[in-house]
Amino acid sequence: MSTDDESFHPLGQEWEDELETMLDDTEYDSDLGMEMAKDAMRVTKGELSEADFHEKYHEDVMDEFGVDDRPTEEAYEEAKKNAGGFAEMLKSFDGDGDESRRDVMKKMGVGAAAVGLGAWGTAEGGQPNVADESGGHSSEAHREGDTQWGMAIDLERCDGCLSCVVACGEENNLDQGVNWMYVLDYEDAGADTSRNRLVRPCQHCTDAPCEKVCPTTARHTRDKDGLVLTDYDVCIGCRYCQVACPYGVNYFQWDEPDVSTEEIAEANDGEGDMMVDDRGRWVDSRSPRGTMSKCTMCPSRQDGFSGEEKVGTSACEDACPPDAIQFGNMRDENSDPQRYIENPSRGRALRDLGDKETTAPSLNAIEEDIADADADLASVLEASEDLDEETLRTMKAIEIVTEDFGEGDADSVDYEVHISDIFDLLEEHGLDLDSQEVLVELDLADEPDEGEEFDGADEGDAQDAIDDYDGRPSSSFKLLEDVGTNPNVVYFGNEPGPNAEQVEGPSAYADISYERADGSEPNLVDNRKEEVLDEGTVGDAGVSL
Amino acid sequence: MSTKTPSKADILRPIGTFSKKYLAVYSIAALGLIAFLIAWAYQLQKGLIVTGLGDWGTGGGATWGLYIGAFIWWVGVAHGGIILSASVRLLGMDRYMPVARIAEMTTIGGLSAAGFYILVHMGRPDRMVTSVLGHFHITVNNSPLVWDVTVITAYFVLSATYLGLTIRYDVNRLRDDLPDKFEPIYKIITFGYSEKEDEIIQRMVWWLAAAVIIMAPLLLHGGVIPWLFSLLPAMPAWTGGIQGPMFLSIALMSAISGVMIISYTFRRVYNWEHIITDDIFRGLLLWLGFFTLLFLWFQLQSVLNGVFLGPLNTAHAAEGKMAHPAYQVAMTMIFLTLVYIFLQAIRPALFSKTRALIASCAILAGTLTEKILFVVEGFFHPTFDIYSATPGTYFPSLIEILSLVGTVSLVALLFLNLAKLVPVVELHAIEHLTGGHDHEHGHEETTKTETEPEVKA
Ligand code: SF4
Ligand code: SF4
Repeated sequence: MSTDDESFHPLGQEWEDELETMLDDTEYDSDLGMEMAKDAMRVTKGELSEADFHEKYHEDVMDEFGVDDRPTEEAYEEAKKNAGGFAEMLKSFDGDGDESRRDVMKKMGVGAAAVGLGAWGTAEGGQPNVADESGGHSSEAHREGDTQWGMAIDLERCDGCLSCVVACGEENNLDQGVNWMYVLDYEDAGADTSRNRLVRPCQHCTDAPCEKVCPTTARHTRDKDGLVLTDYDVCIGCRYCQVACPYGVNYFQWDEPDVSTEEIAEANDGEGDMMVDDRGRWVDSRSPRGTMSKCTMCPSRQDGFSGEEKVGTSACEDACPPDAIQFGNMRDENSDPQRYIENPSRGRALRDLGDKETTAPSLNAIEEDIADADADLASVLEASEDLDEETLRTMKAIEIVTEDFGEGDADSVDYEVHISDIFDLLEEHGLDLDSQEVLVELDLADEPDEGEEFDGADEGDAQDAIDDYDGRPSSSFKLLEDVGTNPNVVYFGNEPGPNAEQVEGPSAYADISYERADGSEPNLVDNRKEEVLDEGTVGDAGVSL
Repeated sequence: MSTKTPSKADILRPIGTFSKKYLAVYSIAALGLIAFLIAWAYQLQKGLIVTGLGDWGTGGGATWGLYIGAFIWWVGVAHGGIILSASVRLLGMDRYMPVARIAEMTTIGGLSAAGFYILVHMGRPDRMVTSVLGHFHITVNNSPLVWDVTVITAYFVLSATYLGLTIRYDVNRLRDDLPDKFEPIYKIITFGYSEKEDEIIQRMVWWLAAAVIIMAPLLLHGGVIPWLFSLLPAMPAWTGGIQGPMFLSIALMSAISGVMIISYTFRRVYNWEHIITDDIFRGLLLWLGFFTLLFLWFQLQSVLNGVFLGPLNTAHAAEGKMAHPAYQVAMTMIFLTLVYIFLQAIRPALFSKTRALIASCAILAGTLTEKILFVVEGFFHPTFDIYSATPGTYFPSLIEILSLVGTVSLVALLFLNLAKLVPVVELHAIEHLTGGHDHEHGHEETTKTETEPEVKA
């Protein structure tokens, strides 16, 4: 800051003038805003406590906004535990609940400016950046909150088609070789090596080493949902996060990215621009030159900018043909990944029998087929081409082992609904699937002993039927769990051992292309150094240390 | 040994003279620095893609390379330099007093070069202040990189104060013989000076030296700098407590070698045989041998802890390191130097200043190679060694190599400039060599041990 500049803000007088104009444009009192901004800077410097700041402005805020939900001194200690800090206080300015997220964001922007926290305006986007420090950098273990996005990945379902890699590149407009999502086959010791495959996104570790070492807090865990993100406006490109991450999932932007921010914004003119998240921080899509990037688990989707139906999904999950990736909230036992973790063979069978887009029996076809058939099991099965005994047994078994069948908001509930539609159809036709006769015939219940009453379906038999249908995964694991990163991706299938070494997979990276916002359709690149980076090296000697 | 008596005029000689040779050396150094500045400008314009670096993992590269290797090397030179000088003051190793200031200046030079490397290495150096300082209160709790920057800054302040205080004494006493054109600078240096402060300053310098010696193993090159690497769980080539002592030994080796080379140059140019005596070189060479021995011992410890019986990740890393030709060359070079140092200690006839110079250069080249390899090897043998692109490839690009020329030039320029401004050998050393009686101010020396006859080897 120059000495003749009387401004209180690190960005100086010019920025302040801009701020004042911005405040003038709102219905709120600019002088109050500026006054608060000045004191807020004092808070960030530690000259004034947050609680004092609150006391000082409580009345004014009441007058101006008609409401002051910011925590009082007593409540403040409590609130701090939830690590909301300023951003939370600001959110409480927003009274009515029916505003769109976008509007809240805008108001947050103004609010943030008002308290002078927008310390770093972004050069390209021009959005003020809510430096949500207290909340943004919770590197200490075990963040509170009920959302933690994560994945369950069934490696035995993955067929190595690289659709997820493509989808990620398209969603995020990545440069060639920036494989935020990566799929590899490997050789390892062990009996069954036919299915040695690994799907490797960022693990969004709860105790992320990358975050711990970052000298700037650019790499941070988002408080509300545990995503580990990089603030592209703060990152200095020291690459320490890439050094510290044990999984090798980080990709640095060594030169100007292929697709410009304008092109990305143009292609995404809906609610969000696919770059700024709901806190106003630039954390999504490919990173700008000189900063670090990695798999983000799609914050724009999670913030609802891609539509409500995309919340709780990721681009790779959507693209995976065999549904090997289950994305969702790891802290909700009814989420897709948690249901899958609880009973993986059920997850497999459910998808095969419930996904009407692909493999599931079709409702219409069954209806047509069985129209003239008798109402007993044998006749129905004979008449219907899509239904055989095994299919129906497994479908019924799924219903038997599932609590709250067909209820909830996980993606896989759609599959359950489809199965239950088929059941309804059969019931209408006159087939009682819960009757002793049918259940016994389907091997899902035992014939009662003489004189005893039929006690309904047997859960053990049901589980056996499900296990038989698609098989149980050989094991489940988290990658390098002993390093202590506390990853949020759970795998099913073979765990790569210390001697595992990548081999060629079923699909070659170079044979597959992806489409980006600028209209380009480059090929996927596996070894970025050899195929992309070496071209830019000044005096590439062609040898290596 | 020369029979000349060291005098004030001797140490003032660099300041008073101005030769064609000086100009030539100055121009070469300036060119070296400018060449790198241009290269750096090009890097800023194009991005770090101009380097030979890449992403470790699927990307087939090394995340850090020569820039970070040279950074820790320069920090080592700097740390070693100040430890050397602090030992002279603290442990009464008066014999080395004539090179103490050269060691301090080496520290300032080394730290400048290291600081420069931090900027050169980053993708967005323009954000250094906002991003790093702006979040310092949070990141200082976690990030070894922030500890590094903190300690290096603290250390720069410490060394500069230390150097400044002793220069202040000299400038005040030599003021009449110093060129008038630098008057404003001397005014600042001696601002508010009174002879009464001498004793206090002596004590302050002593305490600063004590702080340096105590901090060296704990916080400086035996702690914070190796922690940048050794605390990370997934790069077995870096982990382990041995890195602390290892780094410290390398720092001292590099600094002693650096000081020898610079001292040799000054001695030759200004005929200082009677000030920077053969005796000093013999002594320094022995110390160099001692730290080299420690270094080789630590290397042995670190590689054996892996090749013998796993664990697998450590074994892979250790095997990879030992098999590397550059590692073998560097170690052989360092080992042969050690052999020479021992032989000349047994048979003094084997000593010559040229050989000492060659030994110093070999050690500097060896430690620099070791540093760069150390950094790169980490990425080549990670615990998660599954990717076919790992180990990747890395060779410094021309721009990275030019950075070495640039930083060496930077340090050379620092010496060339300082030599014209203040004496590079402190007045105390002269007073000491002549028994402390030939200076006109004749202030009381009772607090010092200088009046005792000097012990020479
Ligand atoms: S895998 Fe873990 S350590 Fe690596 S980048 Fe992701 S969150 Fe960070
Ligand atoms: S590269 Fe960026 S995000 Fe990674 S550690 Fe450095 S400043 Fe943090």
